[in-house]
Amino acid sequence: MLLDVAHLDISYGANPKPTVQDVNFTLNEGEVLTIVGESGSGKTTVIRAILGCLSAGGHVSNGDINFAGRDLLKFSNSDWLDLRGKDVSMIFQDSGAMMNPVQTIGHQYIEYIRTHSDMSKEEAKQRAIDMLARMNLPNPENILNSYAFELSGGMRQRVGIAMAITFHPKLLLADEPTSALDVTTQAQIVKELMNIIKKGGASMIVVTHNIGVAAYMSDKIMVMAGGRVVEYGNTEDVIKNQKKPIPRSF
Amino acid sequence: MPDTVNHVPYDAHNSEIIMNIRNITKKFPVAGGKFLTACDNVSINVRKAETIAIVGESGCGKTTLLKAVMNIHAPTSGEIVFHGKDITKLTGEEKRQNYRHIQMVFQDPTAAFNPKMKVKNIICEPLLNFNLIKKSEIDEKARELLEMVELPGDFADRYPNNMSGGQRQRVAIARALALQPEIIACDEATSALDVSVQDTVIKLLVKLQQERGITYLFICHDLALVSMFAQRVAVMYLGNVMEKIDGDKLDNARHPYTRALLKAVFPVATKDNFTIETLQGDIPSPLDMPAGCPFQDRCYKCADKCRTEKPVLQELDYNHYVACHYPVTDEELCR
Repeated sequence: MLLDVAHLDISYGANPKPTVQDVNFTLNEGEVLTIVGESGSGKTTVIRAILGCLSAGGHVSNGDINFAGRDLLKFSNSDWLDLRGKDVSMIFQDSGAMMNPVQTIGHQYIEYIRTHSDMSKEEAKQRAIDMLARMNLPNPENILNSYAFELSGGMRQRVGIAMAITFHPKLLLADEPTSALDVTTQAQIVKELMNIIKKGGASMIVVTHNIGVAAYMSDKIMVMAGGRVVEYGNTEDVIKNQKKPIPRSF
Repeated sequence: MPDTVNHVPYDAHNSEIIMNIRNITKKFPVAGGKFLTACDNVSINVRKAETIAIVGESGCGKTTLLKAVMNIHAPTSGEIVFHGKDITKLTGEEKRQNYRHIQMVFQDPTAAFNPKMKVKNIICEPLLNFNLIKKSEIDEKARELLEMVELPGDFADRYPNNMSGGQRQRVAIARALALQPEIIACDEATSALDVSVQDTVIKLLVKLQQERGITYLFICHDLALVSMFAQRVAVMYLGNVMEKIDGDKLDNARHPYTRALLKAVFPVATKDNFTIETLQGDIPSPLDMPAGCPFQDRCYKCADKCRTEKPVLQELDYNHYVACHYPVTDEELCR
């Protein structure tokens, strides 16, 4: 078992009532879990807790998060730095917003690679080019010399995915990776993400509000509403035996 | 797809045409003496009390077209005839009065309001601007408009940031309705909302249309959504209209691009029951439009003719226009 989340409660600030209550799930190697739900249902909070980067005074108030046999809640700062970006990495909704707008993509990509490994600048650049080419991006060298705003939404998202998979993470967290994209680009990106899973053997947790995408990608689905898990199970079971009808996307 | 929203019974082909969008071309100058072609010879007839959905990927010129209709910028060439006048040539007071008949609902209801104004002042501002009500009538009128969009009248004294996204979008609709316009232009009015909220907003728009005979120009990139309530659909690509079809006949679309859009939607089904087909590559740059068909580089049916000769819209079936040299055949449709 790669990831085991048990009885997880997450509270924000001094609010006595937890925002997310009693979340339980497990994830094996090579499995894909999707978390679906409306905005404000606590999807993003759950995956941010796994990466230890809850925003604005959020903290885990109860429960366990166990990743590859290690208790994430007991991690020190240096443990986190070692884990993030290597064993666990994240793909954001808009990878363009993740990047510094006044630095070239290459500058940031090479810096990222060299922070997590002892490659030389030349090696890091070659690695970046290889990863971008693997994501079907034309002219990787040109992309390294561009700024984030010069690329289209789909290209930016591919750069974000390339960065996230650079160190072959065991677990990929994707926070609405396709919500900001057109339907055609969404289909391309979803297919490419599935290829990564098939080839690389990574596990993935995808947050989305599009249940069609969830049905296509995942082995397991978790439906959240109001900070609680409403349904959790194998994709087929959840899709076929809905307790209540799920709207077209959600 | 659940039939949550019923198609509005209306006479699709005999209803009065209230606006003629004729051959609109809009070019924006860019550095280096080049031009960016956002809209290329777009013609659409708008009938009374119908919903026209304009669908396409980002950057295909949907919003540019809408801005021309809204008179926010003038097109490079072409005309928009509304009430017998070309509204793109209006100036001064005449132009201002024209705004009364065409109102707009924006994509992001958070950015569409002044956060320091109360809801009642927001929705009555257009009425005050045209001297249609006195200041003392604001409270009463605001309540009336809020109830029309199914919000409690007490919301009149709230500020926009004390409301949810769906409620704010309803306020935006109330503001657009205040002047009793004939046409409401919705620029991705539901894209920023959750899907369950999307559904209720669409139902509200349809209800208002049936009660008041409002015409909607509805920009969207979700073909599945528009097929649920739009009477007409125009599919745009790189500034060109590729296909015009009735909303309920969308399954019969014949342009390879429309088919690709339909195939890119993920259905709610288990993995084994369907395949997703993707288009290769990205939309080309509108800076140097290719000769011939704009869709040529991504089209699986592309032939020599497509690279040299630009297809024009042709009537394939009654009220079904396709701009393609080799539209999808019946045989391919069944496959």
